[in-house]
Parts: sequence; C-alpha cells; structure tokens
Amino acid sequence: MKKTPEQIQQDLLRPMFHSSARYWVAVALASCLVLAGACTFLYQVYTGIGIWGLDSPVFWAFDITNFVFWIGISHAGTLISAILRLANATWRRPVTRCAEAITVFAVSIGAIIPVCHIGRPWLAYYLIPYPSERHIWPNFRSPLAWDFFAIITYLTGSTTFLLLPMIPDWAAVRDTSTGLRKRIYGILCLGWRGTPRQWHRLETAMHVMAIVIVPVAVSVHTIVSWDFAMTPVPMWRSTIFGPYFVVGAIFSGIAALILAMALLRKFLHLEEYLQPIHFQNLGKLLLTMSALWFYFTFAERLTTWYANEPSEMAVFWTTIRQNFAPLFWTMVVCNFIIPVPILAIRKLRTITGTCIASATIVVGMWIERFLIIVPALEHKYLPYTYGHYRPTWAEITLMASSFGFMVLLYLLFAKFVPVISVWELKAGLHGAPATPHASTVISVPVGSGIEDNPLPGDV
Amino acid sequence: MKAIYTLCPDPDSAQRLVDALRIASLDLGFTDNQIVVVSGEPYEGYEFFDRYAKSYTFPLAAMGGLIGGICGFLLTTLTQKAYPLATGGMPITPAWTNGIIVYELTMLGAILTTLAYLLAAAPLPSWGAHLTDPEIWTGKILVGVTDPPEASAAAIEKKFLQAGASDLRRFPAPAAR
Amino acid sequence: MAHKWAMVVDLDRCTGCEACVVACHAENNIPTAGDDQAARGRANHWIRVESYWEGEYPDARLRFQPVMCQQCDDAPCEPVCPVFATYHTAEGLNAQVYNRCVGTRFCANACPYTVRFFNFYNPVWDKPLNLQLNPDVSVRSVGIMEKCTFCVQRIRAAEVQAEGEKRDLKDGEFNPACVQSCSPKALVFGDLNDPNSEVSRLANSNRSTKLLGELGTLPNVTYLPRGV
Repeated sequence: MKKTPEQIQQDLLRPMFHSSARYWVAVALASCLVLAGACTFLYQVYTGIGIWGLDSPVFWAFDITNFVFWIGISHAGTLISAILRLANATWRRPVTRCAEAITVFAVSIGAIIPVCHIGRPWLAYYLIPYPSERHIWPNFRSPLAWDFFAIITYLTGSTTFLLLPMIPDWAAVRDTSTGLRKRIYGILCLGWRGTPRQWHRLETAMHVMAIVIVPVAVSVHTIVSWDFAMTPVPMWRSTIFGPYFVVGAIFSGIAALILAMALLRKFLHLEEYLQPIHFQNLGKLLLTMSALWFYFTFAERLTTWYANEPSEMAVFWTTIRQNFAPLFWTMVVCNFIIPVPILAIRKLRTITGTCIASATIVVGMWIERFLIIVPALEHKYLPYTYGHYRPTWAEITLMASSFGFMVLLYLLFAKFVPVISVWELKAGLHGAPATPHASTVISVPVGSGIEDNPLPGDV
Repeated sequence: MKAIYTLCPDPDSAQRLVDALRIASLDLGFTDNQIVVVSGEPYEGYEFFDRYAKSYTFPLAAMGGLIGGICGFLLTTLTQKAYPLATGGMPITPAWTNGIIVYELTMLGAILTTLAYLLAAAPLPSWGAHLTDPEIWTGKILVGVTDPPEASAAAIEKKFLQAGASDLRRFPAPAAR
Repeated sequence: MAHKWAMVVDLDRCTGCEACVVACHAENNIPTAGDDQAARGRANHWIRVESYWEGEYPDARLRFQPVMCQQCDDAPCEPVCPVFATYHTAEGLNAQVYNRCVGTRFCANACPYTVRFFNFYNPVWDKPLNLQLNPDVSVRSVGIMEKCTFCVQRIRAAEVQAEGEKRDLKDGEFNPACVQSCSPKALVFGDLNDPNSEVSRLANSNRSTKLLGELGTLPNVTYLPRGV
C-alpha cells in the first residue's frame, strides 16, 4: 500500500480543490454560532456584564473556565510537533500539522476571551505596555500582565511553527494549479523555490522553534494557573497548580487532537494516512496523561483533606459531597474511569475507542476547569459572604460560540491548506541514506575558489 | 534567465549528475554556482544537499533571546522605577515577577530572530521567475545549469546524457506550437 | 509626620441599626441594586453589617459585625490588578482609580473579605433621586470595581482645609459617613500615627484583634470583640 510521492500529493491536495455540500453546511452552522456569540458580546458591551450569572463573590465563572480550557487545548500541537520532532518519532509526520493548527486556533480563541470578559473591553489596550500620556504602565506584578506576554509569545511561536512548514506545500499548490489560485498561493508561499539552501534554512528554523516552543508552552499554562494560585482563596493558593495545569492542558490537548484527526480522516478520506497506529500511539500518550492527571488530582485533594483546614474543607466538601458533587464525580468518570480501560486494553484501543475516550476527556476537562474556579469562589474565608452561581443564556451562548469558532477555523483550514504536511510525509518515505553519500568529486565549500583546480584524472 | 535541466528520478542519480556537471564545469564555461538543484522535499545525507547545511541559526537565536531578555528587564524595571506605585507590600521592582516577563520576552526574541534569519538567509520572499518544474512535487529532483554559454550548450547537453539523464528540458519552456 | 488612617470597630457597641450602610450609600453615590439583583447576590454595600445568630431559643442572640474595606497594608488585591487601578497611598489607604479600571475583577477574587464590588450595569437614579448625588464623589459607570475608600473625599477636604489654615488636623475633626452616623459610637476613625488619637488608644487595647489576621493582609481596621 506504499504510496508514491505523486499519489500522496494528489490525495492530500484534493480536499483543497473539491468540497462537498456537507462541508458548506458545516461552515454555515459554525458561522451561525460565531455570529450568535458576536451579537451576544455586543449586547454585553452595550448593557453590561450583568447579563451574565456572575455575582459577589463569584466574579469569574464560565468566562475564565473557557479561557483556561482553550489555552489548555492548545497544548496539543506543542507536544506533538515539538516534542515528537525533537524525539525523532517518525510516526508523527501525518499528525503534526493538524496538531499545530489546533494550537494556533485554540490560543487565538483563548486570547480573545480575556479581552471580551473584562468590564470595559474598549479599554483593553490598557494592558499593553505603551508609553501613555498619563505616564502609567501596566502592573508587571499581576498574573494577568504575565498572561499577556505569555500568550503573545506562545501565539507568535505557534503561528510561526504552523506557517513555516506550510510554505513548501503552498508552493506545491502554486505549481499544480492555475489562475487566481496559482497567484494567491504564489504570493503566500513567498516564492519558495525548493533549493537545498532553502530547505536547510527552513528545517533548522523549525528545529530551533521546536526547542523554544516547549518551555514557552509550559510557561504559558503555568502562568495561567497562577491567575488562581497567586490569590488567597481557599484551595486556590496551592503550589501544585503550575504542574497540575500543564499536565491537564497536555491531557485535554491530545484528546482534542484525536477527535480532530478522526473527523479529518472520515471526511477527507485520509484513511491511508491517519492510520490506526497513529491513534494507538496517541492513545497510549493519552493513557499516560490520564494517569498523571489522576495523580495530581489525588495528591491535591489528599493533602487538603489531611490538613483539615476549615476554609479549605468547606470548598473540598462542596465538590466531593454537596452541591458540586454530581459534576465532580462526572469529571472523575470522564477523565479516568472511562478512558483508562479503553486506552489500556489493546483490543479496545481502536480509532473508535480512542475517540470515545477523547470525547469524554474533553468534557471532563472542561468540568475540571469549572470546578477549580467556581466552588472555591463560592466559599471564600468569610462564611457570611458565601455565594451561589448559575450560568445565564449569555454565558452559554458565548461558550457555544467559542466552540463554533474553533470548528469554523478548522473547516477553513482544511479547505485552504493541506491538513497533512505533504513534504514531510514524502521526506519520511525515503528517509536518510544508510551511509551519507559523499561526492565523487572532492567536495569543496561553495565559493572557496578551489574549484578552479580539478583533480587530474577526473572525467 | 535560461536553463538546461533534467528531472532525476532519485537522489543517487541526482548526485551523479551534479558530480559530473561539476567536473565538466570548467571546460564548458560555467561555474559551480550555475548548477542548480530544486526539489520538492529535503534529502539529508546526500552531498548535493548537505553542502548548504552550515547556518548561523542557533547562535543568532541565542543572541536574539539575549536581546529579548534585556528588553524585558528594561521594560519592567525602568517603568516600575519611573512611576513607582506601592502595591501589596511588594518591592517596587520585584525580581521574581519581573523575571517572568524577562523569560517570556527572551523566548519571543529567540523566535523572532529565528524567523528573521530564515527570511534573510533562505532568502524569502523570492518572487520572480526562477528555475522550476511542477514534476519536482512528484518526487523528482531537478538538476540544471542556468544561463549556459551558447557555444557549449550542445556539449552540456551531451554531458547530461552521459551522466544518465534521459529527459532534457529547456527553461523557459519553448512555446507550444 | 504622614497620616495613617485607620478605623476601630467596637463590636460591644454595634446595635445592627445599619445607619452606617445608609449613610455610606448616600455619601458615596452607591447605586441601589434592587431586590431582583440583590437576590442574585449583587447587592452593593461598601460597608455591610453581618448578623450572626448564637445559641438556641430561648437564649438565641443576634450579634453584629460591620465589615468594610480593611485598607490592608499588604493587600492581596493590589498586586493582581494588571492596569494599576488599585494601589496603596502614602497615607495607608488602598485607593481605587475608577477611570483606570478595566474590570478584570481579579482584585475582587483576591480580596478575602469580599468587600470589592463590581458594577454589573450602569447605575440608574430615577428622578428626582439624582438630585441627592454627592458632587464630591464620581459616579461609577458599568464595568468598574469600587469599594470603601474611608470617604477619601472627606479626608482630602479636611487636609486641604487644614493646610490652607496652616494648622494640623485635629483628632475627630472629620469622619467618614459611616462613623459620623453611628449613634452607639461603635465605629471610630482617626490617625494611627497620632499617639493621642482615639483610634490609637483603642487599637492598642488588650481586646484588639484583626479580621482574618492570620492571612497576613495587615488590615488597618481593628475589631474589639465582644466582652460578654
């Protein structure tokens, strides 16, 4: 079933040239969700955050849950592309671009949410460090200011990481199409030629990016977790939050990636490229992350329960036994009890199995973010100020709209870019030669001037 | 820009052809720089590809990171000292929290420098006419000589055929009749 | 010597009349949430009087505790504001800058006393209630955080007056609205840096304690818990 480069090219570029009616229906539906969210946001700007369900003391709920959730999902690409690239895991080749796309889109959505959730969004530029006539700068001690820099860095890095390998593929589209498409892709690919110098520069750049993006990704979600850990709220002020959130992010990211891959495989007929082995390998990674997630959750809860500090126990019991217990136990079932058997037993670790596990994990991880934020805020230190939170139509619409936006971006991505990196897949076919091929001529450095004197006796 | 080129089916034949052309370059009146290889994918391990491997990406990225870190340090400490506002018992220029900003801007500096070096060194963008053929995307490697002197064009073509090339082409492609 | 404004709350004297709450609303242009919004937990009371039931019938007793912004010296709300809308003044007050606030609500989450309030909607005063707004205090629009300021407008007015008359401020010369309206004199306000002030004397008494003092926020409000 080994494919030739020509076949690969044809299969992977085909979705860009042909789209079914089903595709356009999906785009339309996703666009409607995005529009609904935009209208809700405009209404919120006009009327006030009062249309949400927030109250005193629960000042963050769905908004920050979604923010942390999307930034978490974005860790898919970094793990797959960067870490697997550095580890030279060859099975990653068909998966890298879908993963990087998820990263860029999820970070973009995650970056929009803080701007939209503040009370006066038209003044969001106050967070940007610019020399103002008031001589005032942002407060660099604030975790939200750290968020600003971290997300900007991560977005720049992951966008670069996504766009650079696309350039050769866009050049391929340019060379195999005509008319307007040829012109547009010709501009997009920056006139890519394919000389060895260009290939080397590109691959070295990607190597550097892979090394740099991993610490950035770790720092981004750690800083997001410090939005909570830097405040004196019972069960927020915990040193475990940094690693806990990073693990949870990678966990939810891989799950989202598996779902995206399964959908692409089905709708773009990529059965021969996204094979069961890829889902198996990702499934094993997911199993590891599920175990890690369980370990962190257990460690955090055990130490809280053991200390039996009254303020923390109020939050603890509300999630284990009282109001939030149904959500909490649903989360445990979704994140651990269902996925672990599916992913651990080889017979169950099929494409369908990993998709079921991934779907429950995505739901479970959203619930986990919610349960970190709201129960703690509902029960702060003074019992007189305990509150209650219930979401309104506005928050649910905005949340659904964020999912719709993600779907829309991904659908457009599948249309305008080959979802599997064509040149990387082709390069994986031939690999490096067994022994490096030296030239039969003594190789001279380019431009050294020695080539004026060839060796005697050469033909 | 004119050229004579052929499409080699695999990297070994491309390597042989490049070697043959290099040996013949002096006699036939063209330089090493006029031998052009274009491919649709990278071919590490082959000499015709790896001779361009040396690059300054890593040191430049490190330098870019250093500059970014310095910018982060200056941004945080200078602004905090210029308009010192006391908040929550923390010092005016807390090193640990400023360090987070320094770290992020270090990484951003490395990323942007890598990108800038890629664009400068590739070089990109390079719009305009250049030697290419759509078949490179099917796994073939284009090896050609740009701007061959007219006098030795026939001899160059013979060299191609001697080295095993079977399908000689001209660039720009002759107009269809 | 700079002033350090502080307050003392004598819980033995508080009767729970809530005149302080009403006075604060009137002085600081605090919008009335309305029963619907208040039921949803959005009542905006810069000073609130918490009531606690103790004991069982027939020995049940109701205890009161007024809580306002503690003007913490090590305030957890201050470092977390990304735009510097809250900071600590030289006189020990935790200041809120309304026109800088973008409404991230981070400070409200960080405050362990839950004394920070968010304007969920634009405040509305039906005519002719708009005529009773205090011109010395800005009216906050939607999306802005607000909280007790120890009636900083009164502090500034008194300081300006004293400076103009080239004299020092006298203890008890002016008070925030809540202190002024407290008939059992449960609330006392003054300069902690003045060793002869009423506030200094009471704060140093052997009954003094701080609310949530174990969190290390260093509040400037001292509570004198009940003797009986």
